[in-house]
Amino acid sequence: MEMMPGQFMLGKIDDVARWAQASSVWPLTMGLACCAIEMMSVTNSTYDIARFGSEVFRASPRQADLMIVSGRVAQKMGPIIKRLYDQMADPKWVISMGACASSGGVFDNYAIVQGVDTIVPVDVYVPGCPPTPDGLLYALNLIQQQIRQGGRGGILAKA
Amino acid sequence: MPSSQVPSIAGTALDPTAVRPEIADAEIERIAPVQLRARLAELRAEGFTMLLDIGGVDYLEREPRFDVVYHLLALPDRPATVAEVGVPRRLRLLVGVPGDPASLPSICDLWPNADWAEREIYDLYGIVFEGHPDLKRIQMPSDWVGYPLRKDYPLRGPAREATPRPAFALKSNVPAGTPPGGKVAAALQKQIARARGQVAGNGEKP
Repeated sequence: MEMMPGQFMLGKIDDVARWAQASSVWPLTMGLACCAIEMMSVTNSTYDIARFGSEVFRASPRQADLMIVSGRVAQKMGPIIKRLYDQMADPKWVISMGACASSGGVFDNYAIVQGVDTIVPVDVYVPGCPPTPDGLLYALNLIQQQIRQGGRGGILAKA
Repeated sequence: MPSSQVPSIAGTALDPTAVRPEIADAEIERIAPVQLRARLAELRAEGFTMLLDIGGVDYLEREPRFDVVYHLLALPDRPATVAEVGVPRRLRLLVGVPGDPASLPSICDLWPNADWAEREIYDLYGIVFEGHPDLKRIQMPSDWVGYPLRKDYPLRGPAREATPRPAFALKSNVPAGTPPGGKVAAALQKQIARARGQVAGNGEKP
């Protein structure tokens, strides 16, 4: 839509805020294992996560909205992930990417956390080993949908 | 190492003095823990200037229970030409370590890179290296209890060992040779039959 000088639009603050929020979900720069390779490839021109406004992977959890748990979570990594999640400012979302992050996957052993949802609340699980970049993009779309529909974590939503 | 050269561990694993069958790429030597430091110092002076790695093995029912394996490499001293380089000598030194108490003298002063390798073996097997400058866990979290690579350590960890594994549906109740079912499979079967000319008429409505 083209806006001419002097024109204006009316809208509810809630809707505008949600639109802005859903269009700029910034992920945290955090790769854990092989799923991180697929996560990186969504930034490439083939998949291009920038189409959805999420190309800005932030190195600081203070500036990130979305945590993509991309890979198996080692017992030693668990506390670090929890800490990063706590350091992210509200509202924040979590994608559990792949079988290992969601359930431990094939690593049914002492060293791996059996599902990252035992540590942080997960909004969307992406199945696959590893999931395709399209799968991850779809998960992002679901989170955007949640935000637009006023799901958990919207700027005016009750905590 | 080609697979034909892989020495069989059957028979030798339970013999505390056994040295593995000869292999092409390395000399193998087994010594007692008391000789360890003296022998390694001797080998280092002999030209084995590089400690490649230290490994640990748990044989559980054998006495001594553990093996610690030192991989050494002797590189020629400053060869003038490529032709002088030759084949580097490799040596594998095996030391049996009893299970309780499991300890060995540290060799960090001979090869400084033994530091992390010894910490790793301590972390995963619980073998204490006497005289190590900073013997603490390196892979597992610092508050971890137990030594995970010991054969008697439960694979899923002590806390979860009692919980049952999730049951997976087995397909063994389907008799062998049963064709796959479903719409897609039926359509495929029809296509194959048509291609083979078993169904009369081309373009006939199904």
